[in-house]
Amino acid sequence: MRVDFAAMYDDVHAEIGVPAVFTVTNGTDGVVADITVIDDTRPKTLPAGSADVADVAPGAYARIPELTENGITRDDWLNAVLVFNGRNWVVRSYELRGSPNGEDQGEVRFLLRAV
Amino acid sequence: MVDVREDILARLLEVVASIPNIKTAVRGSLDLTPEHLPAALVLDGDEETNDASDLSMRPPNRPTSVQMTPEIILVESEVGEIVDIGTLRRELIKLVLNDTELNENIVKTGRHGNGAIRYLGCQTDVGWMRSLHGALRAQFLFKYTLRPEDL
Repeated sequence: MRVDFAAMYDDVHAEIGVPAVFTVTNGTDGVVADITVIDDTRPKTLPAGSADVADVAPGAYARIPELTENGITRDDWLNAVLVFNGRNWVVRSYELRGSPNGEDQGEVRFLLRAV
Repeated sequence: MVDVREDILARLLEVVASIPNIKTAVRGSLDLTPEHLPAALVLDGDEETNDASDLSMRPPNRPTSVQMTPEIILVESEVGEIVDIGTLRRELIKLVLNDTELNENIVKTGRHGNGAIRYLGCQTDVGWMRSLHGALRAQFLFKYTLRPEDL
């Protein structure tokens, strides 16, 4: 039986995803899209000499097909503003997570910074 | 009792606490969270003498020269009003090397003081958290006279 990975991602986002607003800031088109993301804010410790600063590294998973359906291409990702769970972030980088059906059918993990 | 090493470290804590915008100044603690920042930590650091080569008949409780190198760690704020690490470094060096309490009363630098205060340098750490985030570890050298009979 073939596994429908796209449907699997949709199910996961339907269960644990949260609504988000993605605003493109590159160029002049300023696309604004309502999407679903999974909050992936992780604990992170920054070394400061012998000391440590305990904080978080904010991140979020999004489905690339959903971004594409909203007219958001890969060139639009960096520096976009992403609002979810009551906080505003800027996409500073990203990681492609891949999928058995190809990276364009998978997820992207946005690495975020504070606005 | 006179413990010059402790006097130096206690005064260093007072000096780093006076760096403009520092929110937290503590000694010996290594655990920070964003709520502490900007922060300054004073760590005891290493200490050495030249007595390994002194095998004379000098009694062990006679004064000897000690060089201590305490560390100061500065961590800039992460969000909100950013106080950058370069500004913190400049203020640190200015305040420590110009502090008259250290120069004249505790370490006693100068021609007849037999002490010395030097800035040795610093190393930096940088990384992403909620924002790009910098920290700095600076070393100073303090030469003082250890008098075992006064301890």
